[in-house]
Amino acid sequence: MRNLVNFILKNVHWLLFFVLAFFSFYLSIHNNEFQRSKYLSVFQEIAGRVYQVSNSIESYMNLKTINSDLIQRVAVLEQELRTSKQEVEVLSELVYPVDVRHFTDAYPAGAYSFLPARVVNNQIARTDNNYITLNKGTLAGIKEDMGVLSPTGVVGVVVRVSPHFSKVIPVLNPKYHPSCKIKGTNFFGTLSWDGEDSRYISLKELPQHALFNIGDTVVTSGFSTVFPEGVPVGVVETTFKKKGENYNSLKVKLFTNFSALSEVLIAVNALKNEQLNVEKGESE
Amino acid sequence: MSKTTIQRILLFILLVLLQIWLFNNIHLFGVATPFVYLYFILKLPVKMNRNAVLLLSALMGLIIDIFGSTLGLNMFVMAIIGFLRFYLLKLFAPRDVFEDYAPSFETLGNFMFVRYVGTLALIHVVILHLMESFTLFDPVNLGLRITGSFILTVVFICAFESINIKGFKK
Repeated sequence: MRNLVNFILKNVHWLLFFVLAFFSFYLSIHNNEFQRSKYLSVFQEIAGRVYQVSNSIESYMNLKTINSDLIQRVAVLEQELRTSKQEVEVLSELVYPVDVRHFTDAYPAGAYSFLPARVVNNQIARTDNNYITLNKGTLAGIKEDMGVLSPTGVVGVVVRVSPHFSKVIPVLNPKYHPSCKIKGTNFFGTLSWDGEDSRYISLKELPQHALFNIGDTVVTSGFSTVFPEGVPVGVVETTFKKKGENYNSLKVKLFTNFSALSEVLIAVNALKNEQLNVEKGESE
Repeated sequence: MSKTTIQRILLFILLVLLQIWLFNNIHLFGVATPFVYLYFILKLPVKMNRNAVLLLSALMGLIIDIFGSTLGLNMFVMAIIGFLRFYLLKLFAPRDVFEDYAPSFETLGNFMFVRYVGTLALIHVVILHLMESFTLFDPVNLGLRITGSFILTVVFICAFESINIKGFKK
């Protein structure tokens, strides 16, 4: 025992050195933005794997609610599909005497396709820097700036990807402002979250002359290459306007339940580069 | 408090102020920055308690960090410097020395002193720049910055030392 104490006393400078070195290393990681981002991208992969294990257990427990959500959504879509099919049939017979449907087959039905993914880490309890981690990354074809949807509505946008994981900034982040509009009109504004209630979001910068009713649905505008047009966001709950502002602001109740988010879809825009190139003024 | 202790405290304050206000703002050719505050750790007596040296150098790094908003970087480097100084002095300094023996041009000899300064400065700039860039993304620029800062640091410290000798003799 005495020898041990002597040994420790004799070598206390080693201990001191390691304490100081670890402390300063910790400080530099947590206080310098650049080092922090490097550190994060390495450990994001590791942390993601850990979360994946814990989440694969958790997702079984949520299966019931997810299933009922999905079935409801499928039912709505089925209904829409039937009505629009009927409409198309009626309209095409009215407008085009000849069947034109084979012409449209030559063109892509839509620029977007959807990849399923699962949430492995969901940090939406914080107010200033919320994010979500998904279990798919570059190997599954996911890239930065792809939109993320849930079965019930909009979720966010991919900001960083590693081979097996991707980090998503949800709409519940004060830094993210996607463009949205009232369904059925062309009045658009930007979404922004005030950092208070994860069930509500604000639709700001809506023109003063925009017509809407309480209970109207808010959908994405499709102006960016991130989301297709018409992804449901939420319903208008109340309206508030600050004095001296030329814009309306709406309080919107989100369709997506962020605290029980598990299955999501990633919107892959096949024509994204083409659109961006045209917007930049370069040819393909 | 003895005269040398007070002198050391004044030197500590002077070097920290100089580093914060003057030397941190020097970026010669955009690559070279002198880290003159190392001089304080270099000049501590050979027989000084190792833990005290370690704590002093980490404290110095922390103060530089606080004013340079690079929290942790310099402290990490200085902890390593304070730790390695003991082993370097084993190489460079004679074994049996009196209590207040401090490394200088006179006590070590010109050549040995420059080698001692150079080794510590090299360790310092290499670790600092590796920590700062955290990758090997731009090795040419990294090498330039390490070399430039290394040369400038050694030159400044040697200049400081020769001024110091003259100052004490007066």
